[in-house]
Amino acid sequence: MSGVSVDDSDTVPAADQRSGGRRPPLRSAFTLGLLVKVAFLATVNALSLWALTQMVVEGVWLAVTFLVVATVAIDVIYLNTKRWSIPYKYLLPGTIFLLVFQLYPVIYTAYISTTNLGTGNILDKDEAIDQVVATSIGTTESGTTYVSQAAIDDDGTLGLILLDEATDPPSLYIGTSEELTPIEESDVTRDGDRITGAAGFTALTLGEAADYEQDLAALEVPADEGVIRLRTFNRAALVEYRIQYDEATDTMLDTATGVVYAPSDGYFVSDDGQRLTPGWQINIGFENYKRVFQSEAIRGPFFRVFIWNWVFAAGTVTFGFALGLLLAMSLDHPKLRGKKLYRSLLIFPYALPSFLTVLVWQGMMNQNFGIINQLTGLDTPWLTDPWMARVSVLIVSTWLTFPYFFLVSTGALQSIPEDLTEAARVDGANGAQAFRAVTLPLLLVAVAPLIIASFAFNFNNFNVIYMLNRGGPPIPGAETPAGNTDILVTYTYRLAFESGRGQDLAFATAISILIFLHVALFSAWSFRKTARLEEI
Amino acid sequence: MSDTTEAVPTASTYTVPRPPRSFKRWFRTVGWRHVVGFAALAFALFPILFVVSSSLNPAGTLGASELWPSEVSLINYRDLLNGTDAPFVDWMINTMYVAGGAAILNTGLAALASFAFSRMRFKGRRTGLLGILLIQMFPTTLLFVALFVFVTDIGAVFPALGLGSRTMLLIIYLGGALGVNTWLIKGYFDTIPRELDESALIDGATHSQIFFKVVLPLAAPILAVVALITFVFTINEFLVASVVLGQGDDENYTLAVGMFRFIDGQGGEWGQFAAGSVMAGIPVVLLFLFLQRWIVSGLTAGAVKG
Repeated sequence: MSGVSVDDSDTVPAADQRSGGRRPPLRSAFTLGLLVKVAFLATVNALSLWALTQMVVEGVWLAVTFLVVATVAIDVIYLNTKRWSIPYKYLLPGTIFLLVFQLYPVIYTAYISTTNLGTGNILDKDEAIDQVVATSIGTTESGTTYVSQAAIDDDGTLGLILLDEATDPPSLYIGTSEELTPIEESDVTRDGDRITGAAGFTALTLGEAADYEQDLAALEVPADEGVIRLRTFNRAALVEYRIQYDEATDTMLDTATGVVYAPSDGYFVSDDGQRLTPGWQINIGFENYKRVFQSEAIRGPFFRVFIWNWVFAAGTVTFGFALGLLLAMSLDHPKLRGKKLYRSLLIFPYALPSFLTVLVWQGMMNQNFGIINQLTGLDTPWLTDPWMARVSVLIVSTWLTFPYFFLVSTGALQSIPEDLTEAARVDGANGAQAFRAVTLPLLLVAVAPLIIASFAFNFNNFNVIYMLNRGGPPIPGAETPAGNTDILVTYTYRLAFESGRGQDLAFATAISILIFLHVALFSAWSFRKTARLEEI
Repeated sequence: MSDTTEAVPTASTYTVPRPPRSFKRWFRTVGWRHVVGFAALAFALFPILFVVSSSLNPAGTLGASELWPSEVSLINYRDLLNGTDAPFVDWMINTMYVAGGAAILNTGLAALASFAFSRMRFKGRRTGLLGILLIQMFPTTLLFVALFVFVTDIGAVFPALGLGSRTMLLIIYLGGALGVNTWLIKGYFDTIPRELDESALIDGATHSQIFFKVVLPLAAPILAVVALITFVFTINEFLVASVVLGQGDDENYTLAVGMFRFIDGQGGEWGQFAAGSVMAGIPVVLLFLFLQRWIVSGLTAGAVKG
């Protein structure tokens, strides 16, 4: 391994400078570092080989491809002694996680937003067909049931010894997944009432049967009218699949009514509009996006959520910064005692995990039992009235934010040279004028990027909104679950997991993409403002 | 924050002490500041006082909570630690595992990448730095649907890493290692003189020795800050944790998911919830107070610099 480039230029420096001082190669041959490296590479390769076998079995080829490429890249980079590989030795581990858990989900989000993924449309088409057929199972008209005894023969074939008690005398059968064979009473061996075997099959005890539980549950014995399946451990019934799939025409046929279901929009649908569930996942293009803008019942609440999102983020930052700055100026005086104590105690709302403190606020603001209404003797609907709920959210988010701005403002104030304000005083400015003309502009220069960062954070501040009130109270008449204090990210979460119609995952991702576009625009603007990129 | 101003007497007119010291004068210059300070303390500490008081109140329900409990007992703590109503100890351990693991590994991955970005010039450096900044615009909070489907898919192949897996949650958090943290650490690395690397190089050190033995020890303050920020952020993270763990056993929850489900909307076990909040909050606050100075400089370093 050769040395590190310490060159400032963007070009790769020639190796000659360093190659003159090349060390004897043996010196680093058996170091701890080498051991760690070999152990690391061995572990990575072993793990990925093991993972690959699992993934090939499941046939997840995209993942297989990525894993192979990643493993090869790791081996190539870390076994390489050329100097070009050095930076990548440091970048590769983080990059792999970035690609898998950041970049891939971004792309996947975009993809999902063009599908109909959600409750009822989770499976792919083949799985959906199997599921529809499997769930259409029902007893036949004759309704024949059997007393059943699970059994196994010497080859390990599972079978059912079946006794039809409706006939006189009761008829006996051995059923396997291949065929149903009538047998005579003389073929059966019994121990008291219990059947212990028949025609080469030995009965399974309850304990033995438990080992074959899944196989027995799936066992279907073909019969004339349908199939015989176990209902409980010792009862079986003649059943039939009411719905059959015809591969040639790609349709479903209801054998009882003769209705034909043809595939349409991710479901099998009959002529009169009846759907068979579950459906499957299909690509629907930009339908989800169109829904946001075309459906009045969605558009109305969506824009309310959107506007409140801006008000909430801007309000939080404004109040938090104003309060923080006010405190910083008040408590930053040379003669003030206990400054350290103030600072240590005021940091609490910021330091404590917000999910805890917001839940505490939720309890305090409870209309019936909360401490605030108890102490004031009022009956304020803190969380149940739409406008009060918004005010409450802002109170709590300000409570969470002001200590941060108090700290950074204190720091910024202390870094502003005293001479400047003094100079202003000498020029005849009073305190307020000096503050407005000198202190505030200098302070804002230092704090502006933090204000923008805080805004961006609060824009997607899930915890405050969701933990305080779950975005409630709900907007009446909304088609999707939207609340008066919902911001976009909580709205998306509720769409995905708490919608009355089940999980509307695809629509939720479409909203995510819209949020992203609009955060991207905002970020582009703020980057330009802070000119942070020029430093690179 | 440093209190340097306290020690430095300044010449500005309003700070010069003037005898006689009347209360009126004192109040006009200093006293009112205490009034503001006390008001702020009341606002800031009221919920905290309330939760501590609730945790000591044996009545245990939200409605019976008072600001000063008429009776004090540790029964809420005992019930919670015994796990009669919720596996709180499991949640603590899970949170330590996920947040501790994420903090250490994230900082490690970010430090590795920062070293390359700070000390080396290579193809794709600028693109890489810009790229990790740009991808942050799509915050993890917006990826939860894709992550949900993704983890479901992973669980189909590797059941141990499917929905409900704490390790999977930890691994997901590692996706954010190359991000703001990398920028923060890179900025700090940039301030460590390169002459140190060069002299080590001349002494025959390899690049990995320079990284581990020269740069990393000098960067300990920023590493501590980044680890702490990641730790606190991860403890606080509810959305992805709820998506990954929420459908599994409640013993696998982190504190955020567990405490939310434990209390949300009912307030029946308020005393135990309060006890849990106190126990979960104390270590975090202590860490914060202990590292206060570095945290503030770390928070501002990334953004204010330049």
